[in-house]
Amino acid sequence: MPKIVSPDELAKKEIFLVLATPATIRQRNIDLIKEISGLGYHTIVITTNFPYAILSKLYAEQGIDPAKVSFIDTVTRNSLGSAENIPGVVRFINNPANLTDMGIAVTEVLKEHSGQKVCILYDSISTMLIYLSSPNISKFIHFVTNKLRLMDISGIFLAVEKGLDPMLMTQLTTFVDSVIDTG
Amino acid sequence: MKPKADNGPGCIEAGILENALVMIAVLGKNGKVLAWNHAAETITGYARDDVVGNTGVWKKMYPEKQYRNNVTRRIAGILAEKNFFEGLETTITTRTGGKKTILWNTKETQTQSGPVVVAVGQDITQLRELDAFRTSVAENANVLIAVLGKKGEVLLWNRAAEEITGYSREEAAGPGDIWKRLYPDPEYRKKITGQITGIIAENEFFENLETTITTKGGDTRIISWNTRQISGEDGGHSIAIGRDITEQKKAEEALIAYMSEMAMRIRQPVGIIRDNLKDIARLTRDKKVSGDEIAMLLDAQIRNATQVEANVQEFQKAVLEKNREIPDAYRKFLGG
Repeated sequence: MPKIVSPDELAKKEIFLVLATPATIRQRNIDLIKEISGLGYHTIVITTNFPYAILSKLYAEQGIDPAKVSFIDTVTRNSLGSAENIPGVVRFINNPANLTDMGIAVTEVLKEHSGQKVCILYDSISTMLIYLSSPNISKFIHFVTNKLRLMDISGIFLAVEKGLDPMLMTQLTTFVDSVIDTG
Repeated sequence: MKPKADNGPGCIEAGILENALVMIAVLGKNGKVLAWNHAAETITGYARDDVVGNTGVWKKMYPEKQYRNNVTRRIAGILAEKNFFEGLETTITTRTGGKKTILWNTKETQTQSGPVVVAVGQDITQLRELDAFRTSVAENANVLIAVLGKKGEVLLWNRAAEEITGYSREEAAGPGDIWKRLYPDPEYRKKITGQITGIIAENEFFENLETTITTKGGDTRIISWNTRQISGEDGGHSIAIGRDITEQKKAEEALIAYMSEMAMRIRQPVGIIRDNLKDIARLTRDKKVSGDEIAMLLDAQIRNATQVEANVQEFQKAVLEKNREIPDAYRKFLGG
């Protein structure tokens, strides 16, 4: 399978918006992690849809080294009521709409991995739209992309293709370096 | 004016004067009325026999002293320079107390008995009333109305035009091109001018042409223009009617933005939940997840669905707020 993101662009710490169909978006998540891990990156997955426990299981099945992935999980606490953070592995957030907590978690997880080749994978903007208005999402993505550029870290934002209105799409396009439509 | 066989106007001239559709008065020294035709009787209501041979009719037709003095002064001023006047407009009071607007033209002429003044008065009351009506319609219209001359110069600029643009009629009609002020960006002005020229070349008018003007205060307003050619004294006049659709456009844009926001936050999430449930079903069938994990996955989808429902309610509330005409029964239903 051809590479989704270019290793050269990833090495230049570029930021990507990756679009996929609703049916393939979960597989794209796995494909991306495989690719990024294969290039020696540690991936921080911000998940708003599937809990970390399930995702890590699915990654392991696909031969992805669990040590190369850590999570910011916005799903589990809502279901179980409580879940303890596991340093270096997962940080839990109560609610995907809580951008303050998510911002803090991103900052702290990035600190934990400072000095490493790190890439952030945000899965997904489309699910975030259930909880947040597009202006708020836009502001948050702007905040995250600024932070990534300041810390010289690459990032990938996943979204369902044709699921973003032209205004939000235009804004996101200005925040990232390239938009990749995987179909 | 009774035709006389000797030392007066000839029969034909007398007949013409008598039957003319304009009032004609022949005046002697100090405004004494020598002749008063049938139209003069009809227009003023004063009979020839009451008028001829004295000056009293002028006082009767201009009963208000201040106005009469004003008219007298204007006439004296004109006659000081020339022995006739043209296009003098006055308002007379008729015998029954009505008001009429008369357009006067006079000419001094010599007769055997000395100089006399022939005053011709045209009743333009209806014309002026029509003018006043038109002006009132234009003035009170809530759309920008401008009448333009051949070179685009402003001949009429109504109150709405002043309010919308911020430019008074004096500023619009005065020196300096109002269109340059309304379209200060040379490139945009060029584009608009090109569009207008193209349309005019084909149709001689344009309909619903939308342009963005810059007001005197620096704001921008979106105007929908309609023009028509109208006949003027020297031809080539056009009337431009501009409707300020700024708020309408804003509302349309807001509606589009809101609808697409709702599409993103309602339609698409339903698809996401469906696909997630498909994945959960597949993982369950493949026995890749435990009972607790299935519950956790389903909990996440329940939360997503709950949030989508809240988004729908938010949308319904917004619709209710915007549309006051929705009947109570539906209002209650939509309000949840």
